[in-house]
Amino acid sequence: MPERKESVFCRVVAILVMIFLLSPLVVIVIASFTPTAVITFPPQGLSLKWYENIFGSSTHFMEGLANSLKVGVPATVLDVLLGVTGALSICRYDFKGKNFLLNYFTSPMYVPSVAFAFVLLQVYSQIGGIPGMARIFIGHFIIIMPYVVRNTVSVLHVFNWSLEDAATSLGANPAQVFFKITIPLAKPGILAGALLAFLYSFDEVALSSLLSTPKFITLPLRIMNYMELTFDPTLAAISTLLILASLVLILLMEKFVGLDMFVK
Amino acid sequence: MGRRRKAFLLALPASLSLLVFFVAPMVYILIRTLASDGVSDFADFFSDPFYLNILWTTLRVSLVSTGISLLLGYPTAYFMARTQSNLKKVMMVVILFPFLVSAVVRSYGWMVILGSNGLLNQALLALGLIEKPLRIIGTEAAVVIGMIHLLIPYMILSLVGVLQSIDPNVEYAAYSLGASPAKTFARVVFPLSLPGILSGCVLVFTMSMTSYVTPKLLGGSKFRMMATMVVQEINVSFDWGAASAISYILLGVILAVQFAVVLATSGYMKRMGGGKSA
Repeated sequence: MPERKESVFCRVVAILVMIFLLSPLVVIVIASFTPTAVITFPPQGLSLKWYENIFGSSTHFMEGLANSLKVGVPATVLDVLLGVTGALSICRYDFKGKNFLLNYFTSPMYVPSVAFAFVLLQVYSQIGGIPGMARIFIGHFIIIMPYVVRNTVSVLHVFNWSLEDAATSLGANPAQVFFKITIPLAKPGILAGALLAFLYSFDEVALSSLLSTPKFITLPLRIMNYMELTFDPTLAAISTLLILASLVLILLMEKFVGLDMFVK
Repeated sequence: MGRRRKAFLLALPASLSLLVFFVAPMVYILIRTLASDGVSDFADFFSDPFYLNILWTTLRVSLVSTGISLLLGYPTAYFMARTQSNLKKVMMVVILFPFLVSAVVRSYGWMVILGSNGLLNQALLALGLIEKPLRIIGTEAAVVIGMIHLLIPYMILSLVGVLQSIDPNVEYAAYSLGASPAKTFARVVFPLSLPGILSGCVLVFTMSMTSYVTPKLLGGSKFRMMATMVVQEINVSFDWGAASAISYILLGVILAVQFAVVLATSGYMKRMGGGKSA
């Protein structure tokens, strides 16, 4: 079929949108190698000195990274455990109030994180003495739960439950059915949910900026604080590393679960 | 009965955690706010042009960002849903890749491009098109650009799913019956894709309403939206009453939008024959 005018239009818009999406990332990567403190284009030579800066103690970026992981990894693991069991209860069994339960599990999505953070801040200030890590952990643990539940439900929703019965009738015990049939088939949804949940926690700033203590500051908050004082290419260097990590993640997702999971 | 018990036990850990760490604090603080003179803080908000202006700015930025995301996202999603080429896989990666990059990093990228010493100003100066650098960072335009960059992937992903599920034969049928491309779009494709448009717009609008990083970094110190104002009231002005009023008003707007959409879609779904929303 010959190409029509309107599909040429769509193709042009699509390509422009792709360029728009990629340009700030490409610019950051190029800027990270400039030798001068002020970023010029094209860069006057090549330098890796800003990358050395990241690991220097004055930026606190490594400490921030450690803090972000200390919150994000346990919160994601716990949410996968709770979210997957919660999603199973909704999809596997028929009972009144299923829809209510799904809305309940995903309700933190509808509350602005800054509003929830402020509520937690007031509760913490009444209780007192809660360490910085726990302050942020509780907030992240709650706001990322919907991502795990929703993505798992979207897979289990179209799940063929008779496969479980088939496995049972062939002699599998409940644990075998769960780990060899249910979990592998639900894996794309669980992985996509876990990835989105972890990244939400890893990138989260609004909640952390209200709940962090001077001793416990996460990486994106460290980057923002650094930006307010110094605007040198160290920012481009740390950003490049984060961009690279995202690229690796997306390619791994593409290879192992496929990206169609993200199409709603 | 055994099955109900199992369902109950499976749902218990998540339900209890949400109850203790989410519902209880929210309700407790709401009651406390109303019990103290929280009502006067709400009255202050709605009688102070300064605060009303922030609400209006937030709504305006969110509406404009949502509108432009839809206008650019729709053709993109349509192309992705219909193309047979390998380009689709590449585009999926290109859309999801920035989507996974921190909002702080993405705003920083726009600061490097749009700053007074930035790439755009250097290029325009070198070409002799301007005499002195344009001020873009610190304006609402910069916030809208950053917001679209942040949120257009959500719009495209919402639309691709719905557009993919529309059988191309339906469009060919309309053509073969003599409908022009414009008419086919207006009478066939557009109505069928409405659920995706709606869910994409609601997602982008609410995320824009509550966004914090983009307005803070690209809007500069004088530019305020609801979320940045809450943090400023707490961390800078130490005015918890105002912060509480602003955050509950923000929550109210979000819930009102969600509620309106549920009402609108249930009516629409009934007219379309009770299909499942995408």
